[in-house]
Amino acid sequence: MTRTGWLLISALLLTAAALRGHAADRFDLKLPTDKQIVHVLNRLTFGATPEDVDRVKRIGIDAWIDQQLHPERLTENPALDVRLRQFQTLALPMWQILDKYPAVPPALTARPPSLDALLSLTPQQRNILQSCSVEERRVMLDALDPQKRGLVLAASTPQTLEGLPDDLIQQGANARKAEQEARQKEFRRLMPPLSELLSPDQIRTVTNGTVEEKLGLLDSFDADKRRQVVRALPPQAYATVPALRREAMAASQPQNFVNSELIEQKLLRAVYSNRQLEEVLVDFWTNHFNVFNGKGQDRVLLTSFEREAIRPHVFGHFKDLLLATARHPAMLFYLDNWQSQAPRDDLPVPAGVRRPGLNENYGRELLELHTLGVNGGYTQDDVIAVARAFTGWTIYDPQKFAEFQFNPGVHDRREKVVLGHPIPAMGGEQDGVEVIDLLAHHPSTAKFISKKLAQRFVADDPPAPLVDRMAATFASTDGDLRAVLQTLFKSPEFLSEGAWHAKLKSPLEMVVSSVRAMNADVADAFVLSQRVADLGEPLYGKIEPSGYPNTGDAWTNTATVMGRINFASALSAGQVPGVKVDVSRFNFKDVATVARTLLNAPPSPSTLSAIEQGIQSAEATPSMLAGLVLGSPDFQRR
Amino acid sequence: MYTRRFFLRASAVAMAGVGMAPPWLVRAAAETSRRRKILVAIFQRGAADGLNIVVPFFESRYYDGRPTIAVPQPGKPNGAIDLDGRFGLHPNLQPLKAMWDAGQLAIVEATGSPDPTRSHFDAQDFMESGTPGRLTEDGWLNRALAPTDPQSSPLRAISIGAQLPRTIRGRQPAVAVSDVTQFQVRNRQLAGILENMYATTADEKLLATGKEAFDAAKMIETITRAPYAPANGAQYIGEFGRSLQQVARLIKADVGVEVAFADIGGWDHHFNEVPQLATVLQQFGASLAAFARDMGDRMEDIVLVTMSEFGRTVKEDGNNGTDHGHGNVMFAMGGAIRGGQVYGRWPGLAPEQLYEQRDLAVTTDFRDVLGELAAGHLGQKADRVFPGYQSSTRLGLLKT
Repeated sequence: MTRTGWLLISALLLTAAALRGHAADRFDLKLPTDKQIVHVLNRLTFGATPEDVDRVKRIGIDAWIDQQLHPERLTENPALDVRLRQFQTLALPMWQILDKYPAVPPALTARPPSLDALLSLTPQQRNILQSCSVEERRVMLDALDPQKRGLVLAASTPQTLEGLPDDLIQQGANARKAEQEARQKEFRRLMPPLSELLSPDQIRTVTNGTVEEKLGLLDSFDADKRRQVVRALPPQAYATVPALRREAMAASQPQNFVNSELIEQKLLRAVYSNRQLEEVLVDFWTNHFNVFNGKGQDRVLLTSFEREAIRPHVFGHFKDLLLATARHPAMLFYLDNWQSQAPRDDLPVPAGVRRPGLNENYGRELLELHTLGVNGGYTQDDVIAVARAFTGWTIYDPQKFAEFQFNPGVHDRREKVVLGHPIPAMGGEQDGVEVIDLLAHHPSTAKFISKKLAQRFVADDPPAPLVDRMAATFASTDGDLRAVLQTLFKSPEFLSEGAWHAKLKSPLEMVVSSVRAMNADVADAFVLSQRVADLGEPLYGKIEPSGYPNTGDAWTNTATVMGRINFASALSAGQVPGVKVDVSRFNFKDVATVARTLLNAPPSPSTLSAIEQGIQSAEATPSMLAGLVLGSPDFQRR
Repeated sequence: MYTRRFFLRASAVAMAGVGMAPPWLVRAAAETSRRRKILVAIFQRGAADGLNIVVPFFESRYYDGRPTIAVPQPGKPNGAIDLDGRFGLHPNLQPLKAMWDAGQLAIVEATGSPDPTRSHFDAQDFMESGTPGRLTEDGWLNRALAPTDPQSSPLRAISIGAQLPRTIRGRQPAVAVSDVTQFQVRNRQLAGILENMYATTADEKLLATGKEAFDAAKMIETITRAPYAPANGAQYIGEFGRSLQQVARLIKADVGVEVAFADIGGWDHHFNEVPQLATVLQQFGASLAAFARDMGDRMEDIVLVTMSEFGRTVKEDGNNGTDHGHGNVMFAMGGAIRGGQVYGRWPGLAPEQLYEQRDLAVTTDFRDVLGELAAGHLGQKADRVFPGYQSSTRLGLLKT
């Protein structure tokens, strides 16, 4: 064999070896153009719709990415606008939400007559009641008219009643009992059960009748009666009728209603919005600045939080996003900062009385989860100093207004040192702003945020050089998130073989990408949101401040695999209430074509042969075929 | 009245009739007579307040530090349940008193991790992996299992919930089940195709997970044909109760469960602790007691151990709550446990005895507790469960 021959052979062998080498780690190998388009769609959207590939091809990848980075230049999908119109709470200011959708009906929070009576006593009368002898108290009480006397006794404390003659005590007990009974009666009047409102036939109609029958019956009532009936409906009466469900929830569980509008809105936007990157980023940042919808007021505060603290800033500067979340009542409440007060060791406080004080929760999570990261180089002393800086950042009237308020009375005015940086005494509200500024500009923050973004958009373990470059952009642009994303999207690592299909879809991504791939019609997103929750990601429902993970490990387990498979076949069989699919475009198509259409890529050999071999005996319909592809391992990756 | 033996034999026979009985099912059926030892691990996520759960009512400093949130002395209204004159149970753990009296409940005080982190997530990761201070991919409970052979049941390691926690992740296959009754491929025609797809995919992670899912689903299908009724009138409460009930159901089905995991959240009481702790303890205590009641005489073979990533501060914070602390309490329940006593060296609550002058100190490493139970009950070597750790303490938690 000639030398050239040997050279040729070794060249061939080397090339073959290089090609066979794990593409999974090849962040230096550029994707071919057709794969680039699909990859960009996989990453910047919640999944490609049937028209997306052509759309990107027409205007070119760079131009399309640029559009997504500047969503204000895109007209929104009319299909989304139509669906968003049904929602009542999304645009309401906080105080209006609190007013219209209270946790407890206002009539039941009104002050009871007994308390009113007690408060209507003159200061002298009250003083006698609290501090004077048995005889003096008895004389004062006997001088009142009998009804008032009873009420005052009903509202009195055991100390006040101590020593009084039995007949007075009995009067108080009777008045209290009568008041409780009146309250229960009022409760029943305001919220009567169905049996008191409707005849047995009507009850049957409204629980088991057809949609037309139910709505017809309700339409026949006047507004007041209708309101009472709807509030008293059992879940099975409205479960399958979206309009009725909304009305019933708003009437009987107003705060859940508010949150469920937010959840449905999130899903509808993910499915329909043309501004896909914006929606992906809102999801990313809502997770990063996690607030749990199960913690008290947060259930209703989240609507404003996403709308005002997150969405406006996703293409802006990180420091503005950070400050907005720090000031928002939803975060102040979730991480308890609204209750945090300067430790007042100088104040004498009697034993057994609550001594209010510092709450470190927000300070810790701000450093650990929102900015520097757990290895970012802060100490326990820093946690305390940050917590002290934020004392006084609280909420004005959380039940009625829930607005940010700075309360200087509980602020820790002493000097603090945060990460070696002294914050002089008497700073007031500015302390917190200064800490935000400090943290937003800390080099560890640039790295931490860049890494998280790279995890979302490139791979679970993103290449360090990419993260470094993104961090450098972050630092040099004062945390301009759009610029950081541009560094990311223009990087060789982003459009590389290493990034192709490197990410496992989260439950939200799997569900939405299935809906988008099928071009399904979502008239009502409520049940769809329950499916996302079943797969392990109840929206806004993560208890821990760390939010849902950005990496695939959390979603790789037997329960979610089974869940995804079942969701996929339910969706394609049209068995998800509120979602309609049309599989006719798959009629008479072979397996490979159907798969390629849904995946925007050729199916893996194993998936293809498993389906081809299996459908002979199963008599597969187009919807079964689609269900198999959507449930395949291929479709779980993006 | 169908016994579980009947069902097992019936399903094995039914499947054998179609030429399909998997070896593990046959073996499991044959092994019902050999009583398998089972370890159940419960994680209280959020740093449970051990000092208010097992109350050191003999310590005046406990009351000094917690003027509004301390559990009152035994005998007072809402007072602790006296266990041994020094420690008492929170009143909502009343359902566990009978187990304590019967010697089936042990308490280990001042346990925890040597790692100083006060981050929930880091501390949970360290406790779940069993390697404090460094992150390991797998969990101690998985390492407590003997190596799998192809004949092993796919359900030997189960976890209740939609996620597979680190504790039970590892080399031996483990299955996460959120709801036993829902765990199967709905469309029966497609089940075989999907199984084949996942069994042959080049995606390694999904291949492994898929195989576990399908094996477990087939097994669970045989179990869930009959509805489940807890024995002896046991009443489980809440989400946690539901989780424990599923563990009980799977154990009783004799499908080869060796280790099980469930968690319960809602312990992170920075604010307004008293009513919140009372509520979660009601669910906790009642469901643990229900589990023991439901398992009946099978508790002889079961050890259940509870843990939390760290405890909470000795002093209450400014908001009727507590902040993150260090030392905490662990429970160990079961017929094999030498119960009715409090183990561990109580470090005291004097300022110089506290950890970093604020928390209960740790005098027993959590690995001593878990290692002793894994070794003594499951027969696994402690240094395999906690590599790189040498236990210096022998607590004597188990009878044999």
